Amino acid sequence: MTTPVSHSQILNSADFAPITQRADVHAISRPSQSYWQDAWARLKKNRRAIVSLWLIVGLLAFALLGPWLWQIDPARQDIDQISQAPGADRSATIVAPYAPWDGTVAAEFAGGSGLRLAMAANSQAVRLHWDAVPGAAGFRLYRNIFAADDEMAFGLPIADFPTPAAGYYEDRLDLRPDTYYYTLAVQAADGTLTANYQTLAVPVNRVITLDEVRERELAPAEAALDIGDEVHLALHPLGTDYLGRDMLARLMAGAQVSLFIGIIAPFLYVLLGVAYGATAGFVGGRVDQLLMRFADFVVALPFLLFMILFQVVFGIGPGESGIVPMLIALVVLAWPATARLVRGQILQIRQEAYISASRLLGARSSYLVWRHMIPNTMGVILVTLTFAVPSAIFTEAFLSFIGMGVAPPTASWGSMSNEGLARMLTHPHELIFPSLFISITVLAFNLLGDGLRDALDARMRSFE
Amino acid sequence: MTSPLSTDDSFVRSAGKQLAIYAVAAVVVITVLMVALDFIAGLTSSGASGAAGAVDVENNEITIYLREEPPQLNSTKASDSVSIMVLGHLMEGLLRYDESEQVEPGMAEHWEIDGTRVTFRLRGNARWSNGQPVTAHDFVFAWKTAIDPATASNYAFILYPIKNAEAINAGQLPLDSIGARALDDRTLEVELEQPIAYFDKLTAFTTYLPMSEEFYRATNGRYGADADEMLFNGPFILTSWVHGSSLRMEKNPHYWDADSVKLNAITAGYMANDSNTLLNLFKDERIAMTELTAEMLETAMQQRWHINRFMDGSVFFMDFNHRPERITSNLNLRKALQMVQNSGELVDRVIKLPGYLPAKSLFPIWLQGVEKTFREEYPALEYPYDIALARQHLELAKQELGLAEIPPLVLLADTTPVATVSAQYYQEIFRKHLGLEIVIDAQIFGQRIAKMNAGEFDLILNGWGPDYNDPLTFADLFASWNLNNRGKYFNPALDEQVRVAQNSLDAKTRMDAFGEVQRIIHEDALFIGNYERGWTYATHPQVKGILRRVFGAEADYSRAYIEVPD
Repeated sequence: MTTPVSHSQILNSADFAPITQRADVHAISRPSQSYWQDAWARLKKNRRAIVSLWLIVGLLAFALLGPWLWQIDPARQDIDQISQAPGADRSATIVAPYAPWDGTVAAEFAGGSGLRLAMAANSQAVRLHWDAVPGAAGFRLYRNIFAADDEMAFGLPIADFPTPAAGYYEDRLDLRPDTYYYTLAVQAADGTLTANYQTLAVPVNRVITLDEVRERELAPAEAALDIGDEVHLALHPLGTDYLGRDMLARLMAGAQVSLFIGIIAPFLYVLLGVAYGATAGFVGGRVDQLLMRFADFVVALPFLLFMILFQVVFGIGPGESGIVPMLIALVVLAWPATARLVRGQILQIRQEAYISASRLLGARSSYLVWRHMIPNTMGVILVTLTFAVPSAIFTEAFLSFIGMGVAPPTASWGSMSNEGLARMLTHPHELIFPSLFISITVLAFNLLGDGLRDALDARMRSFE
Repeated sequence: MTSPLSTDDSFVRSAGKQLAIYAVAAVVVITVLMVALDFIAGLTSSGASGAAGAVDVENNEITIYLREEPPQLNSTKASDSVSIMVLGHLMEGLLRYDESEQVEPGMAEHWEIDGTRVTFRLRGNARWSNGQPVTAHDFVFAWKTAIDPATASNYAFILYPIKNAEAINAGQLPLDSIGARALDDRTLEVELEQPIAYFDKLTAFTTYLPMSEEFYRATNGRYGADADEMLFNGPFILTSWVHGSSLRMEKNPHYWDADSVKLNAITAGYMANDSNTLLNLFKDERIAMTELTAEMLETAMQQRWHINRFMDGSVFFMDFNHRPERITSNLNLRKALQMVQNSGELVDRVIKLPGYLPAKSLFPIWLQGVEKTFREEYPALEYPYDIALARQHLELAKQELGLAEIPPLVLLADTTPVATVSAQYYQEIFRKHLGLEIVIDAQIFGQRIAKMNAGEFDLILNGWGPDYNDPLTFADLFASWNLNNRGKYFNPALDEQVRVAQNSLDAKTRMDAFGEVQRIIHEDALFIGNYERGWTYATHPQVKGILRRVFGAEADYSRAYIEVPD
């Protein structure tokens, strides 16, 4: 009980003046927000999810707009730049076309002794000649990437000569702009190497012929070029692969394959799963039992085996793309997870009081499904979808990696990773780029799915 | 408290920072984990001394690897190079190849060729690994088994020079009508269909190896399936065969030439063909020899390994389907394909291995002619590299075929790294220069052979290794009766020249016939040369005397030895 207080102590007459209508009252209160507006607002506060969303938009742009901006054929082979790392030097000097060599020594290289150049060395050919060595049974010519030392590790044996006479050799094997160390080792009669050898360091610069410049369109057609001029080889911002194909163009082509599978397949199978699960949950009873046991049966089917069976059934011969059977196998085999989830939700919602009330008021089944069931399961469905995307992308990458996906020359991130794996130690960029794209895409979709789950969970509305 | 607006602005920045922290943390954790695991692996592998290294000086043993497990080791059925290599260490034929690839006496002490009659005299100390003598009957039995239609040996054809062998293999004559008889235990008399110059060389081949009838019957059809289901007469005996894992060969005390065998045992401890695996095995001194692929060369140079090379004598080429329903039976189309390719570019820029040579002819450079090498006497004929001319031929082909567009061509290829790269290289070349679409059908060896036999291809990336040291091993490849003529090419003029070479004993006549075969192959554009295969390999510095062979075992360790440093 409170102690009575005199009116005059706390109130005065002004307190009893009529209140005036104020226009800003409603503006102060929080605006009415729909479920989706609220979810979006909360998603926006999740930085990881937003960055992931932008990454996904960026990837889509990369796949769809990229090839339009970077119009390089992903199958085109640039034989001059095989396994080129990004940012490598691209300058090349124009020289006369290659002509077979008969061992003659150019005038400016006359004289000298031992292993020496017969002509200026360039990436077209390195032409060497040497004098006779008395007492030798033969020679073996080696090429290395560093100077020979006392370990007598001379590098690659590139030619054998069974005579001790003076000789010449033209090396054309995979010459890159670099310094090569040639060693002419003297062989004893039984073919073993003796300690007698001559070495020569040969700096090689990159050259190209005029015909090649024209064929590869490295200079404007009207440009007057002559031997000795310098041109730049085609630009490959992310380098090239083992056949000189542009990595950027291939990554874009691969992104199309990956995102096609990654988005279409989950969309289709989530749709199938929702319809299936909703039917099972809504109808219930024996139908539910029957449908869900069938779903259990599908879960037990091995994916890889079915993938192979689908390829056979669809008559996908070798050398043809396995993307369509992959899509069908994913749709046919991956829906039960969604179906189970949706069925559970529907079963739960079916017991809610507002459903009973709606029923009592005479609502038909279709109204119940469309007005109450689907909207209330939408959150779950969306989250399933975003998590299904990375797993589908990963499945595609995996299947292409083991050679069951795209057919050459079509690129996919998975097949590019597989090809890059063999050259991991010497040309790491061929493996790093496609695997980086797979990782980023899978991570982005997962983080977005995470954010969406938080944003769409109605129970989390109060924890703002 | 910050306003919601400024939080909006810093979303990207702070989220980026968060991601960056995650990334750095992930890299650090993975690095630490890798170092830790590497350390632990180092502890366990040095502790587990039971796993022998590449060279075991104390026990005089070496460890090698095999590309794959041999399917079985029955010499009458063996057709793959791994089986042939292993059998080369376990068995010995009438003759064998010496260090310089010349035939020398093996089981046979001496032999005489007299027209169509060849007599071999077996040595008295030739023994099986169970101590029983190797007799002439063992050869007759093995040859009968190989040509028995029930055996279905892939290599039965190599016995066809023996009288009636071809008819027996076709099921037309009984087995006993074979032209080989054991006059007594040590004398083998062979009747030939016709005199052939190279029959002695043939007898060193795997399919001609002997087999003990008594032992074969005792195995109940499991002969060659396991280590104890075989008898050996070669330098080594197979003491254990753990399927899918390892083979162990120990020195054969009953071998007649046991003194020349220096190693006590060879363990094939690994069955691997992945280049990174082999690189690591060799780097860790687990195997005494490794093949090097193009990707491994740089590491091999940096590691200062002693790199060697060897040409195995085989020629790889693109072959066409000549069945009339296939458009590749059109000569102008084949010529068009010939003129846009350059095998030098394939070898120097794409394959990049120092052992390889561009193939210019079906007859490789090493074949002997009359006096000099065959190719010096009969130079290879080549089509010019001429894209404009190629396009003219393509237009002609379209007219002759009545096609507005050439439909996609199926290129059948192997799944080996080199075959994969070559196939993709040609796919792009033909697309770029001729606008042809090529569908690559990559198949494993067995499947590829099945498809080749069924004619399910337009083009094949094919290869042919010599079975004996004579140009005929290549020349009869396009003969109409040869089962290896996968495109079913038929030209009586070529058949005629092959018959001349088979039936003549005069070197000049034969070489002229081979020269003519080479000319016909060029004229009919049957062959797009890819490369003559070479192997680049690194050997353990202490292991000497490893032989790389063109015929028989491609890597022969039977005369290898360990050099102990002073």
